[in-house]
Amino acid sequence: MSSATKRWKRFVPLFCLMLPGLAYLIVNNYLPMFGIIIAFKDFNFSSGILGSDWVGFKNFEYLFKTSDAYVITRNTLLYNGFFIIVNTIGAIGLAVLLNEIRKKFFQRFYQSVIVLPHLISMVIVSYLVFALLSSDTGLLNKSILPLFGIEEISWYSSKEYWPYILTVVNIWKGIGFLSVVYLASIISIDTEYYEAATLDGASKWQQIRSITIPIIMPVITMMTLLSIGRIFYSDFGLFYQVPMDSGVLSDTTNVIDTYVYRALMNLGDIGMSSAAGVYQSVVGFALVILSNYAVRKFSKDNALF
Amino acid sequence: MLACALSLSACGSNSGTNGDTSSAGASGEAGAPYELTVAYFTFGSVPKDQQLVEAELSKLTKAKINATVKLLPISLSTWQNQINLMLTSNEKLDLMVLMGNSYANQAAKGQLVELDELLAQHGQGIVEALGPDYSNAAKISGKTYGVPTVRDLAASYGYMIRKDLADKFKLDLTNAKTLDDLEPVLKTIKDNEPNLIPMVNGTGSSPLTYFSTRDSLGDDMGVLLDNGKDLKVVNWFETEEYAAELKKMREWYKAGYISKDAVTVKESTSDIIKAGKGAGNLATLKPGFDTQESRLSGMPIVSYQMLPPVAKTSTVTSIMWGIAKNSENPEKAMQFLNLMYSDKDIVNLLDWGIEGKHYVKVKDNVIDYPEGINAGNVGYSGMGWLFGNQFLSYIFNGDDEQLWEKMKQFNDGAIKSKALGFTFDSSPVKTEFAAVSNVLDQYQAALENGALDPDKTLPEFIGKLKDAGIDKIIAEKQKQLDAWAAANGK
Repeated sequence: MSSATKRWKRFVPLFCLMLPGLAYLIVNNYLPMFGIIIAFKDFNFSSGILGSDWVGFKNFEYLFKTSDAYVITRNTLLYNGFFIIVNTIGAIGLAVLLNEIRKKFFQRFYQSVIVLPHLISMVIVSYLVFALLSSDTGLLNKSILPLFGIEEISWYSSKEYWPYILTVVNIWKGIGFLSVVYLASIISIDTEYYEAATLDGASKWQQIRSITIPIIMPVITMMTLLSIGRIFYSDFGLFYQVPMDSGVLSDTTNVIDTYVYRALMNLGDIGMSSAAGVYQSVVGFALVILSNYAVRKFSKDNALF
Repeated sequence: MLACALSLSACGSNSGTNGDTSSAGASGEAGAPYELTVAYFTFGSVPKDQQLVEAELSKLTKAKINATVKLLPISLSTWQNQINLMLTSNEKLDLMVLMGNSYANQAAKGQLVELDELLAQHGQGIVEALGPDYSNAAKISGKTYGVPTVRDLAASYGYMIRKDLADKFKLDLTNAKTLDDLEPVLKTIKDNEPNLIPMVNGTGSSPLTYFSTRDSLGDDMGVLLDNGKDLKVVNWFETEEYAAELKKMREWYKAGYISKDAVTVKESTSDIIKAGKGAGNLATLKPGFDTQESRLSGMPIVSYQMLPPVAKTSTVTSIMWGIAKNSENPEKAMQFLNLMYSDKDIVNLLDWGIEGKHYVKVKDNVIDYPEGINAGNVGYSGMGWLFGNQFLSYIFNGDDEQLWEKMKQFNDGAIKSKALGFTFDSSPVKTEFAAVSNVLDQYQAALENGALDPDKTLPEFIGKLKDAGIDKIIAEKQKQLDAWAAANGK
């Protein structure tokens, strides 16, 4: 009895530290969960949430009526999966290159320039892209394509180009920040390793492959796992603002987040947009469990649970 | 300030209906005045003297119905989003503008207060101003959820263009009746003024939006052809007429008559013309259209009617006022609404601003800008067709003094669709409705602006509509229409 009390007393400060975070989680993430019932109701404003009629899975039907559910799931997974791979490889490469720059001033300069896009709001980015792609005044259509004798392209009504455009924008915007994270861990590597390798006659490439990458591997795994956990949540600004909300492009630009938003805004039907939200949560949950399972197989220490 | 307040109250006293409502409203009501939040859409930016007008308006309504008014203008491009958000998050909102395309949906979801009883108690001025035909047009299964504004209740379509261009190129469109007739004009402009878009479009719309020979029955998912000559519901997107129109739009787009950025436009047509980027566009016409547009664009505009005026449920219900479920005091909201239909002072304050500051009286019912003020720098201007009863609005100097008589004739003389008064309730097919809406969002604007090749995309569009269940909607619509026709003896 006394030992239990003692132990409890010892942990009181820790519990106190946990309290704000716990309160936040409960209020922000757990309490609203009861709202999940809206997805199964024919929501009527005059009768309220509890008073509205139950309709079972009827709200989910419109998702599967057309290929919508398939398209948005495919887009979300492919885009985010691809972003994770490209951004990780790119950021590591960039960090290694930055590390090789000897002049402090230039290293700082390049680093700042690369991180800058990360700080720009997506709405502004969307107009930067528009300045490039606009049909009437865009730089590409008016100045660059004619140089190569290529005809004008109406970007905002040609869905086939958007996977590339969105990937480029995402890399341009996101890679700088990620590379700084990797650069930080590369800088902390003891220089003795490199000195010894140089004495043994190892080339730069061999040094990178056998020293840098293995040492920062835990950071890479952690960053990648964190992104996989969020693979079902897309960058709303990227998929909504950058294509200028152009309906024609929705085959290649609609992801679950934008779909839920449009469902609520255009239809104004809470039940139906909640249904799309529930769909996102369920598939996202399955995905986190799956990827964690895969990681456990691969290296147990790096798994989240 | 004091002077104009005095002059306003002075001219208020000679209006009979106004006296009645004020005594009815003020009697037996004590306590703090209720603040009414009134939401409506605007095309441009909020006028700079908005707050002055709001204060003046509140002064009037405080005396008449013991309420103050907070005006909430929302830009049209974000209107649907904002209003949905306000309704779903239960924000403070009393009166709001309703638009035909979402009206039935909003009513079905319980977002609107049923008005019949309130109208009988506090809305006599509204019923009188509208007349039975047009006030019944907004009923859904026998119940009223919105009242149309008194304005042009029919629609005719035609082409409007900057007058200086029409004069310069001696354009004459008096006999133009089809899109083909319009083509030479667009070509002339394109050839001679390469920097101007001959056929401007605004956010989310296309030239075809303003060139319609069908009764869309509210949402285009199943329509009546020939302006509702008979009651047979057909799929408009499958008709040859639609295919031919799309083909024409594609030609125009390729020829540069339609902006290459049509799909991503975020401005209104008048803003584009005002900015010197466009020449003209197809539009919904009515008596007094030219002067209204000239004021909006800041330059003289002429228009040519191409299709005759037609009254459909959608033209009547396109602009209405309703009371939001959020309202804490629907009675006060109805009383204020009644003032918008019966009180000349309130209507003109909302339409033209403050006398002496934003306008001066030239004749009894005719006004003009004060000295040194013009359309470009006036601190306030409202949209007459939006604020209740436009027939109570002053006539602007230069406008036809018989404008309201002509408008009445326009309304009474219009071809009436057989389905005038029928409103489709989409709730029995809401799954299909949502799926079809998504398909329309995806294809319609791009196809109708010519940005996509109809030969390739139209069959794909029709296929997706069928997958989404448009046929089921059409069948349900036909069923409801037949029932409505039987009940109303059509």
